[in-house]
Amino acid sequence: MNVASRLPETSAAAQADRPAKSAKPAFLGFGLGLRAQHYDEILNGNPPIDWFEVISENYMIPGGQPLRTLDRICEGYPVVMHGVSLSIASTAPPNFEYLQGLKDLARRVEPKWVSDHLCWTGVHGKNLHDLLPIPYTKEALDHVVSRVQLVQDFLGRAIVLENVSTYVQFNNSEMTEWEFLSELSRRSGCWLLFDINNVYVSAFNHGYDPLAFLNGIPADRVVQFHMAGHSHMGTHIIDTHDHPVCEDVWDLYVAALKHFGRVSTMIERDDNIPPLDELLLEVKRTREIAERVLPPLGKQAE
Amino acid sequence: MSDFARQQAEFQRGILTGDDTVLVEIVDSPREKRDTLFGVYRYAYGSRLVEAMRNDHELLHTYLGGETFDEMGHAYVKAHPSEHPNLRWFSQGLPEFLRSANPYSDHPVLSDLAALEKALNDAFDAEEGPVLELTDMAGFAPEAWPDLEFHAHPSASRLDLSTNAATIWLAIKNNETPPEAAPLEIPSRLLIWRQDVTPMFRELSVEEAMMWDEAANGVPFGVLCEMLATYDDPDDAAARGAGYLHGWITSGILTSVSTE
Repeated sequence: MNVASRLPETSAAAQADRPAKSAKPAFLGFGLGLRAQHYDEILNGNPPIDWFEVISENYMIPGGQPLRTLDRICEGYPVVMHGVSLSIASTAPPNFEYLQGLKDLARRVEPKWVSDHLCWTGVHGKNLHDLLPIPYTKEALDHVVSRVQLVQDFLGRAIVLENVSTYVQFNNSEMTEWEFLSELSRRSGCWLLFDINNVYVSAFNHGYDPLAFLNGIPADRVVQFHMAGHSHMGTHIIDTHDHPVCEDVWDLYVAALKHFGRVSTMIERDDNIPPLDELLLEVKRTREIAERVLPPLGKQAE
Repeated sequence: MSDFARQQAEFQRGILTGDDTVLVEIVDSPREKRDTLFGVYRYAYGSRLVEAMRNDHELLHTYLGGETFDEMGHAYVKAHPSEHPNLRWFSQGLPEFLRSANPYSDHPVLSDLAALEKALNDAFDAEEGPVLELTDMAGFAPEAWPDLEFHAHPSASRLDLSTNAATIWLAIKNNETPPEAAPLEIPSRLLIWRQDVTPMFRELSVEEAMMWDEAANGVPFGVLCEMLATYDDPDDAAARGAGYLHGWITSGILTSVSTE
């Protein structure tokens, strides 16, 4: 049951909705998360990577090698910024100092888009540096919609939000995660980053069908896929990003391509970082599967 | 307070203090109990922050050993919950923590090692700035020199250590057995900066440290030379001053010179 779609449009929050009017970002191809371990190989070689995603906070620093390297990467590749501290669902007051830092970095990078996660990272002045879960309630939805609008107004661009891996669910949730994300995107105008591994992890942890999640997200709102690995603990899965993408997630990628069509896709590895060549094989596989599953670009209906 | 805000406060308290109040609002999964699932967040909180400290303080980690470092790290996490959105700044308070918290305050070399690593980390990603070249000095007539004021590169900083932490740091860096920790009769005066992209440090003599500190305060070259004259042979004070200056410029530690 989609409770969110039946929310009264006369509510104060609904009346305040001002979906950001921005064109859907173009397809970038098949990319990789930029990590410091690969700086030299990327700058000195010519790896077959269409674009890079950079962790925003790694470059929200005064200067030095990371920013100089980032400038060189931006000269040669399309880049998107991906943050971990926006805390868009926090009930704490917005952190305008952080937002200004993000805006300054975006001015430097000129990213194709700026993303973060549907989560919160702390309240009462504390930051737990984790992507914490929320209850899927109408109250939370109204709050996050207004917060997304505030951030989009401040940054002067529509943002992209990612579904996170979660380990707990709240008993006061009134809708599913995919209903929440769909409504959030529709009402605020934000785009969605569909993390296929996170869908797999959360579906296992909470006992639902990942295809229900996948099919519950409107295809036209998704601008990016994440592919990553995880750690299986038997009764639950932890989203560690320290392993290669597993076969079940590759299967889900095929289903995602069939549902969403051509979407900018990347391999995301955050820990236990292997040599670049190893990740390039995974990037190559994302490309090959898409070429097999989807019609050639020229023949794809827009 | 809204229901959503109350729930977040309880969730956070559950992670930071071990309070279980929030568990009544969380459901068991088909395969696992809610306390185990919530425990994923509790465990991840401490381990992620201690890992960030390990990355920032690799040599202190080697010096202490993994187990002792992690124990120290969790004590720091408890005493200093993060208040900044960027993990980069989380361990900034570590030198002060080690200087003041038992049992670490009994071993001042730990605070000194952390302070040296912090200074090098800060130099690594410090603000960019121009680098003064020797050729920039050629345009000044001899009579202008007494009025010259020198401006440090944004990456430059000074650190005084009361122990042989700098020697220990070098030994660990070179994969050698570090000497026993020991207090110093005269503190070691270090100058830290970034040369191109690499953080550097070197030890200054008492005299050079004085000149650096006073130059950083805006004292012009003429007065610096008068001060040097009180430290050693007054006849070659200007030559010694010029020598230190030459070293700073060739190492890229100065960003500009002015006559104001």
